[in-house]
Amino acid sequence: MSAGGRPTRPSGEAFWWALFSAGGVMAAIFVPAFIVVTGFLLPSGDAAAAAAAAQRLAAIAGWWPVKLVLLGVITLSLFHCAHRIRHTLMDFGMRRHAGLLKLPCYGGALAGSVWLALVLWGI
Amino acid sequence: MPDNETITLELFRYHPETDSEPRFQSYEVPYDEDWVVLDAINWIKDYVDGSVTHRWSCRMGVCGSCGMMVNGEPKLTCAAFLKNYYPFPIKVEPLVNFPVERDLVVDMEGFMDKLQDVKPYIIRDDVNDTSQGEYRQSPAELAQYKQYSMCINCMLCYAACPVVGHEDEFLGPAALALGHRYNKDSRDQGQSERLEVMLSSEAMWGCTFVGECSVVCPKHVDPAGAIQQAKAMGAQEYFKRFVMPKGAGATKGAGA
Repeated sequence: MSAGGRPTRPSGEAFWWALFSAGGVMAAIFVPAFIVVTGFLLPSGDAAAAAAAAQRLAAIAGWWPVKLVLLGVITLSLFHCAHRIRHTLMDFGMRRHAGLLKLPCYGGALAGSVWLALVLWGI
Repeated sequence: MPDNETITLELFRYHPETDSEPRFQSYEVPYDEDWVVLDAINWIKDYVDGSVTHRWSCRMGVCGSCGMMVNGEPKLTCAAFLKNYYPFPIKVEPLVNFPVERDLVVDMEGFMDKLQDVKPYIIRDDVNDTSQGEYRQSPAELAQYKQYSMCINCMLCYAACPVVGHEDEFLGPAALALGHRYNKDSRDQGQSERLEVMLSSEAMWGCTFVGECSVVCPKHVDPAGAIQQAKAMGAQEYFKRFVMPKGAGATKGAGA
């Protein structure tokens, strides 16, 4: 207890916040760059050019270091999203269920990450 | 404009000893474009109804005493000009998220406890004798925390924060910014003691990044920024405890 009688038990929230924070950097810096490059710059031109670009991207994504980068960026972004949704729900009156909300929020992010890993494995 | 113009103030009235529930009372106040809401309340108290109870002191945005809800927004009433509301009525209420003591006065005790919880003073393992001179600090070291030392404890940020109203354990914007101010002070060595309190449960992590605290702050302290920086510091401390032996992970002050 602190001098003021405040409980000082450590909180696992630091862990979720760290994922949120790292995911925020990924979502703010890398995700927009990925969208611009893969969604607008590479597929510009006619349908044939776009198809060729998609093939090139698939080939790049098949390279292991790129797979790891994609896994890191997207997984952390998912956890960022999960943490944000959980805290928004808490603001909307579900604060009493803060612990329970971890399951659908972080569980969803984990499920998305596993699915992503399987997709990347198959490329 | 004619001299006889007036503006309506609707004041929140509540005397716990006699009233079963709060009510609003309207007063017609002379309109002067140089007046602030606090001037109007003082005029009511002096000339119309001496029973109106409110807190104020400096009248110049320094003491932090006159914070109230003005048309639903937390404001220093000494800085809220009537001309910004005229000709519409102005509704004045006590700061939300605090128990009301009487009329526009709120109970600050819980807030003061939270301020004390973060140990808002310099903590040192070794204290030099005064003959050895002061602890020197560079302008860059001062800049690390100066902004967070500008808080006047007006509690507007507590009224603006949705978490304060729902989570008793949450230390709140001003207390967290104050704790962070000392954690960033190069003369301080008490960061681990403070983080022990700040890291626990909902004390700091209850913040849901709404950011209203920084919007309403009359001194531009940016408590939301302080909380995010404190969270980063707290997360580092959290992970250090896993990789370092017990006690060794405790971070000393920025200058230690």
